[in-house]
Order: sequence, then C-alpha cells, then structure tokens
Amino acid sequence: MSRPAEPLLLRTLGGVGHYALFVAAFVRAVRRHGVPWGAVLGESYRIGVLSLPVLLVIAGFVGTNLALQGHAAFTPLGGQRLVGLFVSLAGVRELAPIIAASMVAAKAGTEMASQLGVMRIREQIDALEVMAVNPLAFLVAPRLVGILLVLPALTVLSIFVMVASGYAVAVHQLGLNGHVFLEFATTGIRPVDFLYGQIKGMIFGALICTVSCWYGYFCESGPEGVGRATNRAVVTSAVLCVALNYFLSEIMYGR
Amino acid sequence: MSIIELDAVHKRFGSLVVLDGVSLAIPERETTAIVGPSGTGKSVLLKHIVGLISPDAGRVLCFGTDMGTAGEAALYAVRRRMGMLFQDGALFDSLTVGENVAFPLDHHRPDLSPTARRAIVEDTLAKVGMAGTAPRAPSSLSGGQRKRVGLARAIVSRPEIVLFDEPNSGLDPLTSDAIDALILDMKRELGVTFVVITHDIVGAVRVADHIAMLSGGRLAAWGRTAEVLSSPEPVVRAFFSRNLVLPDAPGGSARLPIVRLV
Repeated sequence: MSRPAEPLLLRTLGGVGHYALFVAAFVRAVRRHGVPWGAVLGESYRIGVLSLPVLLVIAGFVGTNLALQGHAAFTPLGGQRLVGLFVSLAGVRELAPIIAASMVAAKAGTEMASQLGVMRIREQIDALEVMAVNPLAFLVAPRLVGILLVLPALTVLSIFVMVASGYAVAVHQLGLNGHVFLEFATTGIRPVDFLYGQIKGMIFGALICTVSCWYGYFCESGPEGVGRATNRAVVTSAVLCVALNYFLSEIMYGR
Repeated sequence: MSIIELDAVHKRFGSLVVLDGVSLAIPERETTAIVGPSGTGKSVLLKHIVGLISPDAGRVLCFGTDMGTAGEAALYAVRRRMGMLFQDGALFDSLTVGENVAFPLDHHRPDLSPTARRAIVEDTLAKVGMAGTAPRAPSSLSGGQRKRVGLARAIVSRPEIVLFDEPNSGLDPLTSDAIDALILDMKRELGVTFVVITHDIVGAVRVADHIAMLSGGRLAAWGRTAEVLSSPEPVVRAFFSRNLVLPDAPGGSARLPIVRLV
C-alpha cells in the first residue's frame, strides 16, 4: 500500500524543497539587485484590473447567499436580527480574503505562470541572464509588490460588496429591517478584523505570486509545459490559500 | 590568444551523456563555428560558455573566469562583455523593437542620456538592416527580422564576444544567406570574437575561421576551416559531404571547398 504513495510523497517533498530554494534565491536577488520600482505600478494596475470585475460579481453573489442562508438558519430560532452579524462576520473574517485570493489566483496568478512560462520556453529568461540582468529581481519582484499592494485593497472591496449585496437581499427580498441589519453587521465586527483581513490578503498574495512565478519560471518546454504550469499554479495556489486560511483564522480568532 | 577555454568539460542529464570531455580553446577576434549533428550537445556547450549551465567536471574559462564556479557578481561582469543572439531572437514581446535593443544600455549604461541611447539604438538597428523599425512590436516581425533585431541587441553594448545560437535555423535559404552576410559584415566592422553554433554547414564554412565539430558529446574535429574540411576522419567527412563537395583528403589534390546551397 505504501509503495505507490512513496513517489508522490517524495515528489511533493522535492517540490516543497525546490520552491523554498526558489523563494530563498528570490530574496537574495532582491537584496542584491533591489526592486525595479518602475514596473510596480503597471503590475499593480494589471493585477487589479484583471481580477476586479470577476471578483465583484463573485463577492456580490456570495453576499446574497450568506443573507439567504443566515435567514434560513436563524429565522426558525427567532434570530432574524443575526443575519447582518452573520453576513459581516463571515464576509470580513473568512470569505472576503479567501474569495479575493482565489480570484487573484485564477486571473493574475495564471497570467504570471503563463507569462513566465512563455518567457522560459522562448529563452527570454536565459536572455535576461546573459544580459546580466537578474530575472528573479526583474520579473518576480514587481509582481510581488504589485500583488501585496492590490490584494488587501481587493479584500476590503469584497467586504463592502458582500455586505452590500447581503443587505440588499435581506432588506428588499427577505423583508428584514435595514437599520437592524446594519447595526448588527457593524457591532459584530471589530476594526482589528479589517486589519486581519488585510494581513490575510498580503499573505495569500505573497503565496499566489511566488507559487505562480515558481511554476512559470521552471516551466517545461513546449506549449503543453506552459499549460501544465498554469494549471498547477492556480490549483496549488487555491489549495494552499484555503488550507492556510484555517491556520491563520485559528491564530487570529481562535480561543 | 584564447578568450574562451574549455578544459575536459563533462555534462550529463540523467543517464544521457551530452558532453564527454570536450576541450577547446577559442581564439580571440576570430569566428569559430561549432557544428555537429542534432542532439550532439552544441547548445549545451554554448550554455556552458555563458554560464547558464555548470559542467559536472572540467572547467569553462571566459576572460580567465571559471563560468561554472564564479559567483553572480563575477559571472555578470563577464556577461557584460558578451552578447548573444538566441535561436528565435528571444525578444521581449512587451517591449518595442527599440526598447528591446536599448535593454542592455538601460541596465548597464545609466550614464547615457536618452538622446544618446536613442542614437545608439537607431545606429545599431541600421547596422543590421532594420533602420526605422524601433517603434514596431516584435510580433510584427518575420523570423529573419527577429534575428536581426536580436543581433542588434547582442551587439548594442559593443561586447568583446558575440555568440550565435543557430542563427540560420528556421530561415529560408535566401534569408540564411543574408544572416551569414550580416555576420561577416559585423565581423569586419566590430573585430570581435564570434562563436556560432550551427548545424548549417554551408553557413558555418562561409563565416568561420575555425570549425569545431562535436559528435557523440566529443570533439571530432577542430582547426582552421580548410583543415577540418580536409580531415580524413570518416565521421567528419560523412557530416560535411552531406552539403559540400569536399577537398580530397591529405595526399590528394588540395582544392578549396566548393560551397553550394543544398
């Protein structure tokens, strides 16, 4: 039983080690060569613009469903007023950071993996090396700074869209009192919850960027290689973000 | 005098031996073509010279620096003295032609004013027959044009060594001829060391002062072009006779090689 699992385990451990070496090399490269700040604005704009439309749609519909489920769960118990609290707590603490991260992984993360993958197979990364320009500092650093700036902002935006769409469904469809919804929505959360949401966003952003760039940077040759790298980047980023979210929530909100 | 020295270079990928003790001294200010059948390790050899791959055993010295063990600072100092034309040009799609050519200057010549930089870029593009193309996107160029722009980027910072990875691959015979002519022009004009990796025998004979032939990861022949073409080694004669009418082996008549397109 253990034989088929061995190669997978070894492969996984090997991958983790390789990723760690990549991150270490990246940190060394940035310390030695700095960040090409001129490219950061463009990367931030692209990450934000790529992810924003789909994020707004998803966050909006998550908010509507939170209101529906909160209403279904609390009404039989006579706790309709808790719908606002439910929407805001779930949105601010858990769903906004993870959904913003998932959408950024799906849009910007895949673009990072495919861009670097294409650069790898077309020898453009080798060309950077031969021109004595460190590819990690030149290609990965502006993307990382861009995502660190943009993802917390997208997380805040998701929070407001979720609460607003939850409010719209709760008040206009389910007939709840709007003032009560907002009162419970705002009293249930603390300012530090927003801070925690930002911190989650930054950690997820760093993870998405480094994982996606790692897959792209070491892309196997050929178009299939780029496809595989892109696919693995989004799957791995999403799985790691969701798993990490549990541990972060435990640290931030546990006990 | 040798500017690049390979000393018993061994390289294997898994169980596949790619380079099996290759020793070679590439002379300064001359053109050396490294030829050989496909899969014989030519591109791997080139990557050793620029330090993209380290040998398993042996040494690769460029300007006296061991490219396999040098730290990043030393490696980059050597690479700033080199330019390389990649197979497909390796132009950055997000930049214009002019920005691609200016790239080495942007990163290593901060002393240049934007006006001076533009002038150098235009002048270099004109040298490779691509004047006026600076605002164009690389995606709008043909294969031959991409190589010309790649060559402009390789020579824009006046390197002492220019390396070519398969400059004729994927090109029609006429465009190949034009690229060969361009290499000869650049050699006359710049007077630098050229290393050309190619499987195009006709092109190699046309541009090279020296030829090194790799076969099965080993150096099968090395010397002045005419000497290699006169080699009695069966593997060398078999390789070159595919595309050329060879001179007789030593002892026979000493005709110069007649080069013809296939």
